[in-house]
Amino acid sequence: MFVPLQGQAEPLLPETIGKWLFGSNMAIWQEAIAAFIAAFIVGNIMLAMTGIAGPWAKRKITAAFTDRIAVNRVGPAGLLIIVADAVRLLSKELIVPEEADRPAFDIAPIVVASSALLGFAVIPMGHIFGINLQLADPETGMAYVFAVASIATLGIAMAGYASSNKYSLMGGLRAIAQNIAYEIPLIITAASVVLFTDTLQMSQIVAAQQEPLFTVAGITIPSWFAFVNPFAFILFMVANLAEVGRNPFDIPEAPTEIVAGYQTEYSSVYFVLFYLGEFLHIFLGGAIVATLFLGGPTGPFLPESLNFVWFVIKIWAVFLFTQWARSAVPRVRIDQLIEIGWKGMLVLSFANLVLTAVIVGVML
Amino acid sequence: MNPWIAIGALALVGLLIPLGMMAVSTLLRPTVPEKGKTTTYESGEVPTGSTRIRFNIQYYMVALLFVVFDIETVLIFPWTVIYRRAVSMEGVGLTGALLPMLIFIGVLVVGLGWAWRNGAVRWIRHPDRSQRSVEQ
Repeated sequence: MFVPLQGQAEPLLPETIGKWLFGSNMAIWQEAIAAFIAAFIVGNIMLAMTGIAGPWAKRKITAAFTDRIAVNRVGPAGLLIIVADAVRLLSKELIVPEEADRPAFDIAPIVVASSALLGFAVIPMGHIFGINLQLADPETGMAYVFAVASIATLGIAMAGYASSNKYSLMGGLRAIAQNIAYEIPLIITAASVVLFTDTLQMSQIVAAQQEPLFTVAGITIPSWFAFVNPFAFILFMVANLAEVGRNPFDIPEAPTEIVAGYQTEYSSVYFVLFYLGEFLHIFLGGAIVATLFLGGPTGPFLPESLNFVWFVIKIWAVFLFTQWARSAVPRVRIDQLIEIGWKGMLVLSFANLVLTAVIVGVML
Repeated sequence: MNPWIAIGALALVGLLIPLGMMAVSTLLRPTVPEKGKTTTYESGEVPTGSTRIRFNIQYYMVALLFVVFDIETVLIFPWTVIYRRAVSMEGVGLTGALLPMLIFIGVLVVGLGWAWRNGAVRWIRHPDRSQRSVEQ
C-alpha cells in the first residue's frame, strides 16, 4: 500500500544560527546573514576534508597500495605536509601562456572549484551535538545536486579550449565525451531510487531508508537502497567513478598520453583550484552515494545527535574506493570508454529503471 | 526560510574561497616574466601550428546523442516522483502508470539501436593505426 512519508520540520543550519543571533522572527537581511554564516561553516568543513584528502590522505593511501611509506618527515605521520603544500603551491609563480584566451583561462578554475562546492548545499550531513548541518532542503534537491555537479564539465571544457594547448584541447574534449556518456546512466540510476521515495527532497530520501529491511541473527538491516537495490548501487558507483574522472576512467588527464590534459598549462593557485575542485567533486560524489544508497548520515552505535561522524565515514569510504580503483585498475582507452558508456552502462541503467518500476508497481 | 537564500549564500562562499586564495597567492608569489616560460607547452619542443585544429567528428556525434537522452531524463524524473501515487490511484493502476513510460523508453531504445547500428557510438580508429594495432 502506498503511504506518503511524513515530513518532519527539523530546523536546518541557517535557521538554527539565525535563531541564536536574531531570535525566531527574522528580517530578510538577517536570514541572509545567518545563511551566509551557515554556508561559510559548511564550505569550510568540506574544504578541511579536501585539505586532508589532497596533500596527505591520497599519498598515504596510494603508498599503502603500492607498498611505500609516502610523506613522513613533516609533523606526526607527515600531517603537516598539508600546511607545507598549501604554502608551496600558493607561492609558486603563475605562468600564463601568451596564446591563452584570457578571461576564460582565469574563470575556468573558479568554475570548477565553486561548482563542486555548490552541490553540498542540499546534502543532509547529519548532526553535530544535535545541530542539523544541512544547509537547505528544497523539494527539487536531487535534480539540483546533479545539475550543479555537472557544471564542472563546463569549467574543464573552458580550461581545455582557453589554454591554446593541444594536450589541453584533447583533455577537454575527452572530459566532455566522458561526462556526457556517463551522466545519463548516473541520473537514470538515481531516478530508479526515486521510485521508492516519491520525492526528490534529500531529507525525505534519507528518511525513506530508515525502515528495517529484514533481521538476520538479531541484526536488523536497514532498508538502505544499496541493500534494496544492489544492482543500482553498483551501476551508480561505476558511473560516479567516471563522473569524477578517476581510474579506470581518468582519460581526461591521462598523464602518460596527454601530459595532464586540460590542466597542462595551469600553475600556481590555478592548479590548486583545479585540484581542490576535483577532490570536492569526489567528496560530492561520495555524499550523493551516501544520501541515495547508504542511508545518509544514519548509522548504528552513535546517537542521532552525533551522526555527522557516520556521514564523514561514508564519504571517506567512497573516497577510499576511488583511490583503490586508482591504484588497482588500468585506464581504459577512449573508444572503450565510449563503448562501455553508451552500449553497456546506458542499456543496463535503463534495464534497471524498468525492472525497478515493474517490481515496485507489482509489490505495491 | 526560503532554501534558495542558503543556496545563494553557498554560491557566494564558493566564489569567495577561490578569489581569496587567488588574492593570497598574488601576495605570496614571485613574478619573473620571461619569454620561454610563456610559450605553449609542447613537450619542450618549439610549438608548431595553431591549436584551433580540426578534431574527431566522433565527439560531435556523441554530443548530439547526449542531447536526446538528456531531455528524456528530464521527462523521466517527474514520472518517477508520481509513479507509486499513480499506481495506487483509482482508474490509473499499474498498466496506466507503467505502459506509457515503457513505450517512451522503447522508442528511445530503438533510437539508440539505430545509432548503434550506424556506428555513432563506435569510435572509428584512424586507418593508419589498424596495421600496428595490438589487438588480435
